[in-house]
Amino acid sequence: MMNLEISIGDLQVRIFKLRLTNILVLMLFNSLFISAIFAQQKTRNPKSEIRNFLTCPIIRDSKTFPCWLVEYNGETYYLGQQGRSGSLFYPPQLKHQVLVEGRIKDGSRLCGGIVLEPVTISVMPELDLSCNTLLPAQDGLEPPPPIPYPENAPFADDTRNFTILFDFDSDFLSLHKTRIVGEVVRIAKVNGLKNIVIKTFRGTTLLSNGQKLIEKEEIAELRAGKLYDIFEGLGFAKEHIKLAIKTNPEKADGIIDVGKRRAEILIF
Amino acid sequence: MKIKTFVLHVIFLVGLLSWVSDNENSWIQPGKGGILPAEVAFSNPNGTLGYVNVDGDINMEGHPFFEPLGTNGRACVSCHQPKDAMSVSTQSLQQRWNETQGQDPIFAAIDGSNNPKLPQQLESSHSLLLKRGLFRISLPWPVKTDNGKTIKPEFSIEVVSDPTGVNVDPELGLENGNISVFRRPRSVANMTYVMSPDPVFNIKTGTLAVTDPETGKVVGMNMMADSRHYTQKQQALDAYFGHLQGHNTLTDVQLKQILDFQNKLFMAQSHDKWGGKLVENGEPAGLGPHNMKAGKVHILANNNRDPIFHWFNNWKNKETMPQSLNAEQKDFRESVARGNDIFMFREFWIRDATHINSLGLGNPVRRSCATCHNGQMTAQDLAPGWVDLGTTTYPTWTENHLANQKSDLPIFKCTCNKNAAPHPFLGRVIYTTDPGRALISGKCIDIGSIVMQQFRGLSARAPYFVNGSAKTLHELVDYYDRRFDIKYTEQEKTDLVNFLSVL
Repeated sequence: MMNLEISIGDLQVRIFKLRLTNILVLMLFNSLFISAIFAQQKTRNPKSEIRNFLTCPIIRDSKTFPCWLVEYNGETYYLGQQGRSGSLFYPPQLKHQVLVEGRIKDGSRLCGGIVLEPVTISVMPELDLSCNTLLPAQDGLEPPPPIPYPENAPFADDTRNFTILFDFDSDFLSLHKTRIVGEVVRIAKVNGLKNIVIKTFRGTTLLSNGQKLIEKEEIAELRAGKLYDIFEGLGFAKEHIKLAIKTNPEKADGIIDVGKRRAEILIF
Repeated sequence: MKIKTFVLHVIFLVGLLSWVSDNENSWIQPGKGGILPAEVAFSNPNGTLGYVNVDGDINMEGHPFFEPLGTNGRACVSCHQPKDAMSVSTQSLQQRWNETQGQDPIFAAIDGSNNPKLPQQLESSHSLLLKRGLFRISLPWPVKTDNGKTIKPEFSIEVVSDPTGVNVDPELGLENGNISVFRRPRSVANMTYVMSPDPVFNIKTGTLAVTDPETGKVVGMNMMADSRHYTQKQQALDAYFGHLQGHNTLTDVQLKQILDFQNKLFMAQSHDKWGGKLVENGEPAGLGPHNMKAGKVHILANNNRDPIFHWFNNWKNKETMPQSLNAEQKDFRESVARGNDIFMFREFWIRDATHINSLGLGNPVRRSCATCHNGQMTAQDLAPGWVDLGTTTYPTWTENHLANQKSDLPIFKCTCNKNAAPHPFLGRVIYTTDPGRALISGKCIDIGSIVMQQFRGLSARAPYFVNGSAKTLHELVDYYDRRFDIKYTEQEKTDLVNFLSVL
């Protein structure tokens, strides 16, 4: 495992050694955080219910909202319905393959597909023109009513650790992710915290067919650079921003891989 | 004292009368002087366009918006004519060419011709301006900075063909670090709406929104076709040095006067040649310059609670219309009301539009025009509004084909680097007549993305789209119909055209 800590001054990247104390604090936090989040999921998610695969998305029209489906190993799965930019589920895109990382909810079907919930999808950036299936509406195949937007309650003012999860191979910060960034800055101001450590990771996904999908080599650096620019733009002094970029891919187990494509942020 | 007041009134009235008498041919020449009344209307092919200036009458004499401050005789008003919805129409340009035998400063070689090295006395040397209303915009390539940050472009550009010759000219072209694209000038009224900023984050890029370097405040990015400038001050200075070929600079006082004028000027169609006076007792609330002045800015309105142009309830039913209207006028109002409903609620598959379908809505998404044209009263995107609608990129561009050597616009081939994220729907090799936002950001994903414009004053400023490819509102609607395979009926198209014509 290789850990790099990088401090950027005048947009020049310089490598520093992280103070031992910070490393220990950060690593301890990371271990506890990841364990806490996923220990529960592991017990709920036997591997037979997990579906991780790369495929073309399918959109089905309906009397209400269009719904998004995928096919894998001869079975159809339901991902979610068309929403808005504030919705939690961001649908796939035709002309692109989609990486699906989900769990069979309870065997129930929507729009003709077995419901995956929770499900995370990542749009693969390269074009695949074979992904072009739009099915007509069919009676009885409708998605549920729109899911209410997330409440987006503010984080507690004593929060110090934050995690931002990314789509596969992406450093894009969607509306939901920039909200977390905004909360980091708000809480830092409320508490007069001037230091920030940003630790970014490169993920791997273990697909259900046994193959491993590894994120591109530079992705952790891209995520770090983007967050650095934002936090610097929002008032953190350059000398108070520490970057820890982990370029080696995370190990994959097919269960909690979604949670490893991440940035961890610590303010103090 | 009384005599002095009397004389001032006489001067004002003479100015006003001369304005009114000259209103039929209301092209405003730089440096001409005169008064631009606080409330004034100009005729256009569909009726009249009304203006309200919050600051009252504007004395154009000595006003930097109207004075030729550069070296080529142009002023801001040259390309932002009140008669033409503060843009300029091809109808006016052609008339101006005929009246001046091409000597008007608006035809200046620098950007009012296809190529400054062509014989300027020939009409054909100005064909893009005369036929499409396009000015030449020369930009540095490869771009080196964006918003003060060093960038390295993710794609290379080759010239596939260029009937103007400018992009293959050793001095003016790519070889010497310049790329020329041809674009329509944008309206500079209702600017409080246009300039209103979104929150701290740019939803299109997932990065921080840009800020005014002077104030540090977040600013909008919807003023220019490629968002290369996002403050009016930057734009005014760029226009002074570029379009006006100024050699000195604009003073702070002059800049303030220009910005004040733009920010306090509201416009909207006020009369229709069939429908008559468009606003009575403040209704419909989405029409007319006074409602523009009174409206709230930066309201997301792609909903059924308080839509983009509010409601046209009184126009939906002949029985609720004034008895004084004739049958044709009532028919017209009903058509406009239907057009508003089509714009707001008629769903279709919005597909392969970068920065819409690629932003979490999914591709395709079954929504309406108002999904993207979501800002109340202007129908601009409230977020930074660059979208690759396909007007400049193959295969959906409307008039240029690779084999068609008669194309009047230059065609570029953009090849994206292997390591860069490709254009979401066109891949890594893209043919375009205008790379748009990508010429500023250097990003492959932005190739062909153009910032959408406000919908106001459309009747006064044909042709439409950034490259003037739609000569009429009907052609504009036809483009969307083809592009998204909407299958509008002829009645729906007519209703949409009527609706757009009264904005």
